[in-house]
Amino acid sequence: MSDLRQIAFYGKGGIGKSTTSQNTLAALAEMGQRILIVGCDPKADSTRLILHAKAQDTILSLAAAAGSVEDLEIEDVMKVGYRDIKCVESGGPEPGVGCAGRGVITSINFLEEEGAYEDIDYVSYDVLGDVVCGGFAMPIRENKAQEIYIVMSGEMMAMYAANNISKGILKYANSGGVRLGGLVCNERQTDKELELAEALAGKLGTQLIHFVPRDNIVQHAELRRMTVMEYAPDSKQADEYRQLARKIHANAGKGIIPTPITMDELEDLLMAHGIMKQIDESQVGKTASELAA
Amino acid sequence: MSQNAEKVLDHFNLFREPEYVELFENKKKEFEFAESADKVEQVKEWAKTWEYREKNFKREALTVNPAKACQPLGAVFAAVGFEGTIPFVHGSQGCVAYYRSHFSRHFKEPSSCVSSSMTEDAAVFGGLSNMVDGLANTYNLYKPKMISVSTTCMAEVIGDDLNAFIKTAKEKGSIPQDFNVPFAHTPAFVGSHVTGYDNVMKGILWHFWDGKAGTEAPLTRVPNESINFIGGFDGYTVGNLREIKRIFEAFSVDYTILGDNSDVWDTPCDGEFRMYDGGTTLEATANALNAKATISMQEYCTEKTLPFIAEHGQETVAFNHPIGVAATDQFLMEISRLTGKPIPEALEKERGRLVDAIADSTAHIHGQKFAIYGDPDLCLGLAGFLLELGAEPTHVLATNGNKAWAAKVQELFDSSPFGKNCHVYAGKDLWHMRSLLFTEPVDFLIGNTYGKYLERDTGTPLIRIGFPIFDRHHHHRYPVWGYQGAMNVLVWILDKIFDEIDKNTIVPAKTDYSFDIIR
Amino acid sequence: MSLTVEQTKERNQALIKEVLDVYPDKTAKRRAKHLGTFEEGKSDCGVKSNVKSIPGVMTIRGCAYAGSKGVVWGPIKDMIHISHGPVGCGQYSWASRRNYYIGTTGIDTFVTMQFTSDFQEKDIVFGGDKKLEKIIDEIQDLFPLNHGITVQSECPIGLIGDDIEAVSKKKSKEYDGKTIVPVRCEGFRGVSQSLGHHIANDSIRDWVFDKAGDKHPEFKSTPYDVAIIGDYNIGGDAWSSRILLEEMGLRVIAQWSGDGSLAELENTPKAKLNVLHCYRSMNYISRHLEEKYGVPWVEYNFFGPTKIAESLRTIASYFDDKIKEGAERVIAKYQPLMQAVIDKYRPRLEGKKVMLFVGGLRPRHVIGAYEDLGMEIVGTGYEFGHNDDYQRTTHYVKDGTLIYDDVTGYEFEKFVEAIQPDLVGSGIKEKYVFQKMGVPFRQMHSWDYSGPYHGYDGFAIFARDMDMAINNPVWGLTKTPWKKAV
Repeated sequence: MSDLRQIAFYGKGGIGKSTTSQNTLAALAEMGQRILIVGCDPKADSTRLILHAKAQDTILSLAAAAGSVEDLEIEDVMKVGYRDIKCVESGGPEPGVGCAGRGVITSINFLEEEGAYEDIDYVSYDVLGDVVCGGFAMPIRENKAQEIYIVMSGEMMAMYAANNISKGILKYANSGGVRLGGLVCNERQTDKELELAEALAGKLGTQLIHFVPRDNIVQHAELRRMTVMEYAPDSKQADEYRQLARKIHANAGKGIIPTPITMDELEDLLMAHGIMKQIDESQVGKTASELAA
Repeated sequence: MSQNAEKVLDHFNLFREPEYVELFENKKKEFEFAESADKVEQVKEWAKTWEYREKNFKREALTVNPAKACQPLGAVFAAVGFEGTIPFVHGSQGCVAYYRSHFSRHFKEPSSCVSSSMTEDAAVFGGLSNMVDGLANTYNLYKPKMISVSTTCMAEVIGDDLNAFIKTAKEKGSIPQDFNVPFAHTPAFVGSHVTGYDNVMKGILWHFWDGKAGTEAPLTRVPNESINFIGGFDGYTVGNLREIKRIFEAFSVDYTILGDNSDVWDTPCDGEFRMYDGGTTLEATANALNAKATISMQEYCTEKTLPFIAEHGQETVAFNHPIGVAATDQFLMEISRLTGKPIPEALEKERGRLVDAIADSTAHIHGQKFAIYGDPDLCLGLAGFLLELGAEPTHVLATNGNKAWAAKVQELFDSSPFGKNCHVYAGKDLWHMRSLLFTEPVDFLIGNTYGKYLERDTGTPLIRIGFPIFDRHHHHRYPVWGYQGAMNVLVWILDKIFDEIDKNTIVPAKTDYSFDIIR
Repeated sequence: MSLTVEQTKERNQALIKEVLDVYPDKTAKRRAKHLGTFEEGKSDCGVKSNVKSIPGVMTIRGCAYAGSKGVVWGPIKDMIHISHGPVGCGQYSWASRRNYYIGTTGIDTFVTMQFTSDFQEKDIVFGGDKKLEKIIDEIQDLFPLNHGITVQSECPIGLIGDDIEAVSKKKSKEYDGKTIVPVRCEGFRGVSQSLGHHIANDSIRDWVFDKAGDKHPEFKSTPYDVAIIGDYNIGGDAWSSRILLEEMGLRVIAQWSGDGSLAELENTPKAKLNVLHCYRSMNYISRHLEEKYGVPWVEYNFFGPTKIAESLRTIASYFDDKIKEGAERVIAKYQPLMQAVIDKYRPRLEGKKVMLFVGGLRPRHVIGAYEDLGMEIVGTGYEFGHNDDYQRTTHYVKDGTLIYDDVTGYEFEKFVEAIQPDLVGSGIKEKYVFQKMGVPFRQMHSWDYSGPYHGYDGFAIFARDMDMAINNPVWGLTKTPWKKAV
């Protein structure tokens, strides 16, 4: 167990977190690493590119059908995809009902008890959006993920989310062993994106581990429910993911305890890079027509 | 007016007086808009039928009168078995009020336990500050040697992390860094009280054996000859553990009872309130790692604990609440096998006396049909004893029993000709049992206090064995394990059988020819 | 031996200081506000109340669920009360409150049964609304004579965001307007049982009164109709109260909620006067009935002959001479019995000191009964009282009485140890602590499985019980004869 690397990808919804993580993990698999992906998003889309499947049976949906998780076997929930990557999806309720966070706790407890972590080199947790409640912090508790990679972009809300996730990590960093492994910037082609991402990484006390350029080939691959690694292994984009994978692999034990910043500092950062203008207090709360008058 | 100062009428007599009977009738007639007597009678009779039983067994969502409690109760039970230990339950405070009342009603003893009193704001922000403040208060007020932390469903739904919280509390100085605070997550919506017992027992052993939550080096096992014993969640813990100690001492075996709550739930009345009394010492708990083997008296109370112990290199042996001759034989033979010591002659003699008692009385029990409900292990123990007595455990029901348990009970039935027409019911409740007793009647029912409602409705005489027993006193002081324990169970069963025969033959000039003086 | 009032006050202050010294500073500051001594002439007892209990101190309090399911709703006998959530809450509160009732349990009445949705992990994760719908169907199928259903929420329901209101409405419609009441009494709400009482009261307002229309048009009112509010019929309390009201010529149209039925709740707006025993748990609905239906309400106290006579006269003052004469007739009728009880027991109990710690109304209401027997209350406090309870308490307690709000296990033990009362009256969790200390004890929630204690019939039992507790030979046996006191 001690050689097992446990990592997690967090990031704002829609940032391309699942795509980035699956491509990176596929690249790690290419390097000969044995991988288990634990999808912790009720949408259950963290493993579709690896499995070429729309959605797989989730732990929670099968448990609900069978009665309880105790009635499940590991084989029922674990699927094997590209380059023997093992995949499980925690699953969860439909939006607006139940408690998805508790679902994450249930699933991870089940996997540990059933010995899902044996004979693998990497466990990767793919976690929805923000650390919205205690359940979504499950992957960063002690003896779970040691390094967190935050997928972000140069957009304000993505940076805001990255900072928030850092707060979540900080909360558990002292008592447990979780560390921030670095930021992964998924290019959105916003102004001064690389500069901003590096600046935020600096503020958080971490590194921008990789800047993934935007490339339409990613979409082409996704349409075929594949990673770029599989769809176009010789492409330039595939090399980007290989680089990211190598960096993560070399990053073992190099994570840090993040130093999240305040909302004001974040705004200052955006202003310093000219992304946001100084707020004219006299304009706050005014409608367009009021301002025109 | 019927009340009088000379002979004060209690509720059970007062309200039978004519003025109250009239009051009840009038209230019902004028104000309750109650169902007609005919209709009540009709539904009452219908509820006894096979048709109703089938409907009743089709239930998928509703539970009525279950015979199980929730994990946190078992957590508290396990925790107080350790020296100077106060259970600290992280979650809503009302839960703790319930556990304490529940135990006090059964054992007729104080039950000390604290809550982190989480309220609406903690539901939103998490209960960290409740843990930080709570541990400091408990430590200062109640001067425990150890605080055992478990959870309620509230803390589990919002996902509080006990390990992290306890560490933070220590960093903030609530309690000394080296103070023992083992913990276990015990969600009420998983398993039952026996699961909570298991989780806490494992949590405490993990704490002491595997490096106190990462703060120390794990202990290295240096095997010795001693034997660990785990009783499990047991309403007879006071009597049983004392009997077990007597047995181990007769063997001259080194032993450690893990979770010894026989003293804390049987404290003397001598002018001093003992919040803590007896219990497994913390030193012995740590040293238990070195034992040769661990015996669990209740398999389903130690489903996680035993494998954990086995991983540490010990042999583990599990029983199912053994009651009776053969079950006790096996228990003693296992001790003998594990320790290499012969079974003491004194115990052999006790065995002979038990067999003698059974031989003396078996005619009255032979062929009688029983329904049993209770925790999974207790059901197995009692069913085994009944088969041994030539009785038929016709219905065996455990609300917290699972499929594996049901298979095990079936195996037991199959091992005896008396088990031929017996059935096992896993995951069913006492409303199911009610239908069983109406449609397939038995002679006697064995269960806890709640069985009295079944006795009232179906007329099946109840023999109170189980947990909780609220309406009879002091039975928890008697063992049901060992040959002596089996003797107690035998006597309880016989007393009820004889009482019933007397009750059925007591009418003068009608049935009292059989009102025999010698039986 | 006996202290002057001033000495008592000094002793109390020293005792409070001693107790607070053990707490961490932050906790000591908070607890200090809940401990005090009653000063004659003050408008309340000088303690803070109805705020959050402190973590880790062993509060005696329960939760909102206990206040709603356990206290207010549970005794309504012809309805089925679902403990909605994990199995424990319903299990621990199953038939443990002695709300006596008449009925065929399981057929037309259901009080001593435990109906639960027994939540499993999947219900938490996926939500429990569908399960609740099915539960209601199964109840209708198996318990056809039930007159209504309540859904008593346990903690997880509010946390996972189940919409029990929508389920209740839907099912009510499906079953021809059947009364189905969702109650948001999750245990983490509020600071004690008290909020559960309030939530339960409001749910009756919103889901019984407001929905009912007039369900019983055939019901004929009389000028003498009253409803008993806030009597849970512990050991038959409401019955030994009702009999007196009826004997004085009143017609009791409803009992809230001991031995009560849904129809009685529904008809209560037709009462001419609501008589309120447990102010704490049912003042809310009494105020509502006054505001919306113009039914006045009056508090009364049926513990001990002094307070009973006072209360009968107060209640009668709302009616005509026929009732006033009736009250006098009742008082006179029971006078010889009361005299006989007092003659028998007062000599054995005179001067005995009592410390109380109970819930709703009893920390003050029972004081008169003890005083009728010549006993003295030296300390009292509320588990979940509010300031209006402590204001009302000033009419009962004497100068210098020790007051402890939401007392902790530690404080209570220390207070009793120092004051050495002849009797402690509190709950099951406290009973054995004090008995081990050699102090006679009576449970004052459940009447220690005795009762009734209300009314004249109840007072005879109360007096007998206090005597048997205090003058029990067992208390002479606690010390070993061979160990001389040092």
